[in-house]
Amino acid sequence: MHSNIKVIQPSGILDSTQTHELRRCITEAVEHGATLILVDLKQVTFMDSSGLGALVTALKAVRAAGGQLCVCSINEQVKILFELTSMDRVFDIFPDCEAFLDQCRRTESDFEEPVYSHV
Amino acid sequence: MVSWHTKRSQTIRTQVNTDLSQLAQVLAWFNQIDHAAVPRFIWLQCELALAEGFTNAVRHAHHNLPVETPIEIELTLYDQAIELRIWDYGAGFDLEKSLQALPWPNELEAGGRGLKIIAQTADVFHYIPVEQQRNCLLMIKTYGR
Repeated sequence: MHSNIKVIQPSGILDSTQTHELRRCITEAVEHGATLILVDLKQVTFMDSSGLGALVTALKAVRAAGGQLCVCSINEQVKILFELTSMDRVFDIFPDCEAFLDQCRRTESDFEEPVYSHV
Repeated sequence: MVSWHTKRSQTIRTQVNTDLSQLAQVLAWFNQIDHAAVPRFIWLQCELALAEGFTNAVRHAHHNLPVETPIEIELTLYDQAIELRIWDYGAGFDLEKSLQALPWPNELEAGGRGLKIIAQTADVFHYIPVEQQRNCLLMIKTYGR
């Protein structure tokens, strides 16, 4: 079964030591035909500008492939990072994974359950 | 008039290697100080500024130096201010000039946000050459009660 919806769930500190793995996972999702990618940040305890940079790079790559990249479940610290850098105006931010999937159900006529990946 | 630095304060110090994987340790060190009196929003901003200062030292100041090259960090908590110092052994650069020269990076640039994040958070932000051929990044964030 191939869903065009992919949920990527990184955890812990999202900094320069984790960005390679995150980017690899997103690139792979795009190559497998995912067009709606959610980076669920629920398990991320801290993010710095390198982590944010990786998300920005991924956003560009997904958009270039004709898809959409969204994030959800950002904690207070990540919210501060997004706001300080005005990235809250660039990313579609959902309260949680369910809110994202609800929107997918409404907009995708051929909705299939997403594929989940932990990073 | 009583200025904040005449009040009670607490200071902690640590030293870490030139190693990005030490960030978790640096953050744990930062959070161990009793900061119950600091508004959470302010504390989280300073935690982020610390991460940016530390990773900047590793990735830029110490980019050609061995991993054992120490980075020293000091945190002082005053009644209404947080003072953070980070010492590195890098070649140094003119912070004011760099900040003026750098606009916010293009929205979709991958990098270049670290110094700007510190500048936006801090009330005082300096990067100056000091003794032992080191540089000191100083940031002060004040907060009301």
